[in-house]
Amino acid sequence: MIELDLDLPLASFALCVRARLEGGVTAVMGPSGSGKTSLLEAIAGLRRGTKGRILLDGEALLDSERGLALPSEARHVGYVPQDAGLFPHLTAHANVRFGARADAKAVASAIATLELGPLLERHPASLSGGEKQRVALARALATRPRLLLLDEPLAALDLGLRERILPYLMRVRDEWKTPVLYVTHNVGEALALAGHVLLLRDGHVEATGAPFDLLSTPGMVRASLPGVENLLPGRVRAHDSEGGVTSVELPAGQTIAVPLAADCAPGMQVTIAVRAEDVIVSKGVPEGISARNIYEVRITALSRTGPDVTLRCAPSDAAGAPEWIVRVTPSAVASLGLDLGQTVFLAVKSHSVRLV
Amino acid sequence: MGSWCWEGASLLSRDELEIVGFSLATAAGATLLILPPGVLAALALARYQGPGKGFLETLLALPLVLPPTAVGLLLLEALGRRTPLGGWLASHGIVVVFTWKAVVLAMAVMSFPLLVRSARTAFEEVDPRLVGLARTLGCGPMAAFRRVTLPLAWRGLLAGVVLAFSRALGEFGATVMIAGNIPGKTQTLSLAIFHNNQLGRDDRALVLAGVTTVLAFAALWSAEWFTRRRTRRAAA
Repeated sequence: MIELDLDLPLASFALCVRARLEGGVTAVMGPSGSGKTSLLEAIAGLRRGTKGRILLDGEALLDSERGLALPSEARHVGYVPQDAGLFPHLTAHANVRFGARADAKAVASAIATLELGPLLERHPASLSGGEKQRVALARALATRPRLLLLDEPLAALDLGLRERILPYLMRVRDEWKTPVLYVTHNVGEALALAGHVLLLRDGHVEATGAPFDLLSTPGMVRASLPGVENLLPGRVRAHDSEGGVTSVELPAGQTIAVPLAADCAPGMQVTIAVRAEDVIVSKGVPEGISARNIYEVRITALSRTGPDVTLRCAPSDAAGAPEWIVRVTPSAVASLGLDLGQTVFLAVKSHSVRLV
Repeated sequence: MGSWCWEGASLLSRDELEIVGFSLATAAGATLLILPPGVLAALALARYQGPGKGFLETLLALPLVLPPTAVGLLLLEALGRRTPLGGWLASHGIVVVFTWKAVVLAMAVMSFPLLVRSARTAFEEVDPRLVGLARTLGCGPMAAFRRVTLPLAWRGLLAGVVLAFSRALGEFGATVMIAGNIPGKTQTLSLAIFHNNQLGRDDRALVLAGVTTVLAFAALWSAEWFTRRRTRRAAA
């Protein structure tokens, strides 16, 4: 268990994190610049000026009240930065063996877990991004850390490579049973790997909980897809290759047409993403327009957000159907006479919908 | 080796060979002397970002631009018997002024900034995050320096050592102030060139100048070579 109660002044705000994290994988999420990397560095002992307490299984790594701050080398915490941070003058093998506590057995099993055999004699300059990440992960594992800190290990990789690295991370989680703090922007990764989510915003904890419970909270959306406010769980129903659309079932029996996604098998669980400003508001039933998806909703909240007005819309007929977040201009609000409690129709173009 | 000696013997007199040997030995001694403090100062300048950094940098670079005779004069005053340092040395029977030690000291002071400049650039090229990572992997500060900083910076460091050595070899002004120009005792190559010229023996001065040129060329060329290798590695 990790107990955090730390303060670290940063350039634009102060990192101020109080949290208790159980074992397993905790996804650390939040918008860019919310202090995720600084949090990992503070735990690793790489940030001077960190105040407060960090307890790992009851043992203090930092307790500034008692004047205790273990140096990095005494914390037994493995850290893998975003760019892997391999030592360029050493081969992959020498990198993995680098740790002062890396005994032969731990090195061998780290190499086996991450399947590094064919890469061992190569230098980092000749490794691909995914290979570097695997070597860096093995290097950290070989020291038998009590906690593993991973900073967006998949961020620099393309989609195909991500899918190939993810199983390695799952193996680390399941075979090494090392607790992991895992920084990511990707909800899919959090769902696949993490048992908990720690949501940061401007250096503060915005929310904690199970990834799925947080899935549609604004914080999680901000953390994962900046600008995409509508993230709806759905299930692929059918493909219409002639019409160029795939039909996806939303909660409470509604459907939404999305651009043809033939690689998603019917029945597959997907997440629908729609930007708030891509939703069109109409006072009457829209007719003769190209948008394929039309929903009748009631405005439940209306607030001025910066230059725009953000509407929260609840379904007026189907109970349990998704809420929509819609962004319109103040002039649209005025000319349509939009107000609380009003029933309106939302229209969403198929091409405004993304499957994530 | 044997053929070099034979040719050298025909080109240089026995005294002149001794001058070459003395110059090489004092320059090497001076370089070794400034290596530990130079590396420390370079590390500090490369990593330290607080106030006073600019002042410290300027102070360390000062011998590069001051007239060497002025530096020599300051050293001479500092080592005089009336100063605490001079008094302490004298009470322990250590005589520096007008001995080979003064030659080494003058060379050391004059080449120190060159070593620090090159070494600092070399250390600055080492990503401090790599050093931090070495720490998280269980290395103490010294082990992290030995296993990460040094292997990544050694080419630049070596180039700095060669530059410092070359500068030491050519030192004249500060040396003549605190070591004098005593043949067989404190006379280095550059002093001997001046000396021969003053006595009207321009042919000997020219020969010695040629020797200095060859030595300096070899040193600078190898420094270049190391720097080039380093750049190529960094680009790879």
